[in-house]
Amino acid sequence: MSAKRKGVTRRDFLRDAALATGVAALAGSSSLAFAQAAGKGPEPKLGGQLIGKLEGPELILDPAKWPKKFSEAPMLAELVKAGKLPPVDQRVPAEPLVIKPVHSIGRYGGTWRRGFTGPGDSENGNRIVSADKLLFWEYTGTKVMPSVARQWLLADDGKSVTLYLRKGHKWSDGKPFTADDFVFWYEDVYLNKELVPTPHPDFMINGKSGVIKKVDGTTVLFEFPEPNYLFLDILAGSTAMGGGQALWQMDGRTMGAYMPAHYIKQFHPKYSSKDEVDRKAKAAGFDGWIAYIKNRWDWRLNPELPVLTPWKTVTPINNPTWAMERNPYFYEVDTAGNQLPYIDRLQMTLAENLEVLNLRAIGGQYDLQERHTAMTKLPVFLENRDKIGYDVRLDPALNGSDATLQTNQAYDADPEVAKWLHTADFRRALSMGIDRDQLNETFWLGIGVPGSTAPSETTPYNPGPEWRKKWSTLDVKQANALLDKVGLSKKDGEGYRLRADGKGRLRIELLTSAGAFIPHAQIAEMIKEQWKKIGIQADVKEVERSLYFTRIRGNEHQIAIWANDGTELLYLFPRHGLPVDPAEAHLGHPIAAWYASGGKQGKKPEDPQLLKALELFRTANGQKLPERIKIAQEIFKIMVDGQYSIGTVGQSPATMGVRIVSRKMGNIPSRQINAQHCRTPGTSQPSTFYFKA
Amino acid sequence: MLAYLVGRLILAILTIWAISVLSFVIIQLPPGDYITSYIAQMSASGGFVSEQEVEALRREYGLDQPMWIQYLRWMKLVMQGRFGMALEWKRPVSEVIGDRLWLTMVVSVAAIILTWALALPIGIYSAVRQYSAGDYAATLVGFIGLAIPSFMLALVLMYLGFTLFGANIGGLFSDEFVEAPWSLAKAWDLAKHLPLPALILGLAGTAQLIRIMRANLLDELRKPYVVTARARGLAEHRVILKYPVRVALNPFASTVGYLLPYVVSGSIIVSLVLSLPTVGPLLLKALVAQDMFLAGTIVLLLGVMTVIGTFVSDLLLMWIDPRIRFESRK
Repeated sequence: MSAKRKGVTRRDFLRDAALATGVAALAGSSSLAFAQAAGKGPEPKLGGQLIGKLEGPELILDPAKWPKKFSEAPMLAELVKAGKLPPVDQRVPAEPLVIKPVHSIGRYGGTWRRGFTGPGDSENGNRIVSADKLLFWEYTGTKVMPSVARQWLLADDGKSVTLYLRKGHKWSDGKPFTADDFVFWYEDVYLNKELVPTPHPDFMINGKSGVIKKVDGTTVLFEFPEPNYLFLDILAGSTAMGGGQALWQMDGRTMGAYMPAHYIKQFHPKYSSKDEVDRKAKAAGFDGWIAYIKNRWDWRLNPELPVLTPWKTVTPINNPTWAMERNPYFYEVDTAGNQLPYIDRLQMTLAENLEVLNLRAIGGQYDLQERHTAMTKLPVFLENRDKIGYDVRLDPALNGSDATLQTNQAYDADPEVAKWLHTADFRRALSMGIDRDQLNETFWLGIGVPGSTAPSETTPYNPGPEWRKKWSTLDVKQANALLDKVGLSKKDGEGYRLRADGKGRLRIELLTSAGAFIPHAQIAEMIKEQWKKIGIQADVKEVERSLYFTRIRGNEHQIAIWANDGTELLYLFPRHGLPVDPAEAHLGHPIAAWYASGGKQGKKPEDPQLLKALELFRTANGQKLPERIKIAQEIFKIMVDGQYSIGTVGQSPATMGVRIVSRKMGNIPSRQINAQHCRTPGTSQPSTFYFKA
Repeated sequence: MLAYLVGRLILAILTIWAISVLSFVIIQLPPGDYITSYIAQMSASGGFVSEQEVEALRREYGLDQPMWIQYLRWMKLVMQGRFGMALEWKRPVSEVIGDRLWLTMVVSVAAIILTWALALPIGIYSAVRQYSAGDYAATLVGFIGLAIPSFMLALVLMYLGFTLFGANIGGLFSDEFVEAPWSLAKAWDLAKHLPLPALILGLAGTAQLIRIMRANLLDELRKPYVVTARARGLAEHRVILKYPVRVALNPFASTVGYLLPYVVSGSIIVSLVLSLPTVGPLLLKALVAQDMFLAGTIVLLLGVMTVIGTFVSDLLLMWIDPRIRFESRK
């Protein structure tokens, strides 16, 4: 009970802090709506007051409304004057992407200061420069819009997608960007077995690969042997085919659908010889050409690499500072004809640890930071905002549960435990034994939404509001009744249930990973306390992150805790909702291997309902949108009813949704979509952010 | 004497070799390898890695080979002074460690000097003025220093620094100097950032040394030779400083051996908290990412430092303590 009280006092404290600084004025209808959505009646929560109105920049797609004349940043104008750069109208494509900024036309200049945690923190930068994706999502996260590609055409039979590029679009070194850059990537990288050993699922339909063809200089065709209606979403999503150069050509990755052919060719054996490129690699200190070419196309490591992003690396990520500078050939302009981005430089400084990063954020050493800024620090963030001059904004995510108890449906090490994990009523009882309100107050400051793993009601795949609470509210009585019914009625002296095979107390292991955005281990400890009331003994095991994944790949876990982020658009990122991806399958690695290999490897699930969900998922890619929506809803119904993944609290800003925004910055949406496929803050178009003075 | 030194030197080299084998083996012990942690990282950013790609990556990094081949590969690189590639940093290990090693030395030496500068006089004072008010005060402060975990002290001081003085948080340099080439201005910037970490790192050790110094000196002060010296009318400061203090210094000299590596490895958490660009946080990250070349090199360096330190402390002891000198002559 003490934890409950603690939650309330913290909320009181938060409210006081907010009142003291006058933010109560911000509490509008949105917070009320949010509180109601949370199912907590009309009492407005402070967190709700920090959640603004969803807004974002608008695209001007009608050429008649485009600006006729272009202007540019002073630092580029100087270069033009000095003859080092062609004038701006020769650098911007004849068909630019015209953006109406969310609030106003900005002004040029300034350095955007941020913090990062080292070479593993690429996401920190590539989410900001993700305007190099072929297609993208509108700021609402629900509609596909143009990006690098000006326009697209999905064939009626679903067997091809045509992309139309922008006339006059150039790489950051001034060389033309054309369909040949796609052909080069497809033929010389994707089909090269040494670089890409197996075809990628994102570019396949029912196990069959697609192809890329050049139609003319600015038209590219993606063709498939079977209907692939999902492919547009894949191109717009955070996927291997649509993620763009910045996300998929770094860290040894080989995907991304296009590449600066004119630059990369010099490192590829096809265009000279293997000896020649190996010699180059050795001279640069690499073991061979493969390692070298992967380094050369890594935008974070190689400042010479031509890119399409708004900023390009000048000081590589493996330094104490990761710095980027504007791309003089960037393809976006605002409605007044100013070439974007507004901000000259991005500078990230290395923080060896997250406490320092958070303290620096509080100290005003960052201009805009939504990554690594922890929700648990919210009271301190609020306390200092007026002194330092920043605002705190919360961006709730759309996924159902930030701490999801993923039961291993292929577990077999302990037959007794396996039997219970594979029993639906057992899982339902576990779920009903969790007091989600207590978790919400303690770890989510009361601003999360308790319930199942179903995504937000605002997303198309949500199966209906009744599925939020299905088996997912505290009901100790019913949980106990279910456990008695399935055959776990015997208890020991301390009230814990005994195993049916007579080997003592039934113990369930909760595996958590250290270093996640959300304190999973502490959450697990609280669930452990709550389960005492239903007589279930849990053992919380926190392990280092890579060991956590090793265990899951080894099928060693009983229940693992992880967020189910990405499931709001199930087809683009299913791995936290369904066991379909062997790279990460909390619900059972052997099942994912079975699914991915078409039954050749792994283990077929025994549960008929789970099997049905997987079969449904397999048919979805070839279906048009309305059918796909129905299938996804059906899958969520099966998954929630079976409680394979037990949801706790979600739709919260806990993962990358706590934004610290300097008051000097303009065009910052008061709320932005926080989702994997939107590359947050990507859909808010960081190229339109600016410094007011 | 020379034979003694040569013998020690040969032993040192053998020890270093043993350390290199051990460090490599220990780093390989936990399940998984760099590719596992690479996949973990990839998963977090929404990436996909197929089983075949995992195999190809293992081949590319040479992780598919038996451990002893990997060890020989690494040793070959070490002999060439290259230490291999830091997998996560995608840069040669020597480059990644480069500046950090010197900064570590600077911080460590500053901490050691501070420790000694505080511990010696205070220790002498509290021994000579045993049970005086000053002795109690020093003891109290010492115990507080010993009792507070240094990472907590670091956090508290950093927070106070921020709220009271608006000081720069963490790190050894101001933003504008992080990437700047070495200059007088940069060195001055470093000097300005140095006292806080040196104080935090030094404080725990100071308390310990005060106690040791006090106890040792008390022992010595009661010995007949001191009584004799005093009876002969020698000035009090000479009575104390000439011999008793010198003998009591023994523990200072004999700890030099592990002081160096201790300040490097024992300071990992403080360096993390203060975000110091030293070797400590690098080692922790390398271990977490199972970046064996980087972690191995750092552990090896720590080993070498211990060996060198022990060697130095042997020499120091011989110089301070005549009894040891006589022993080695036998």
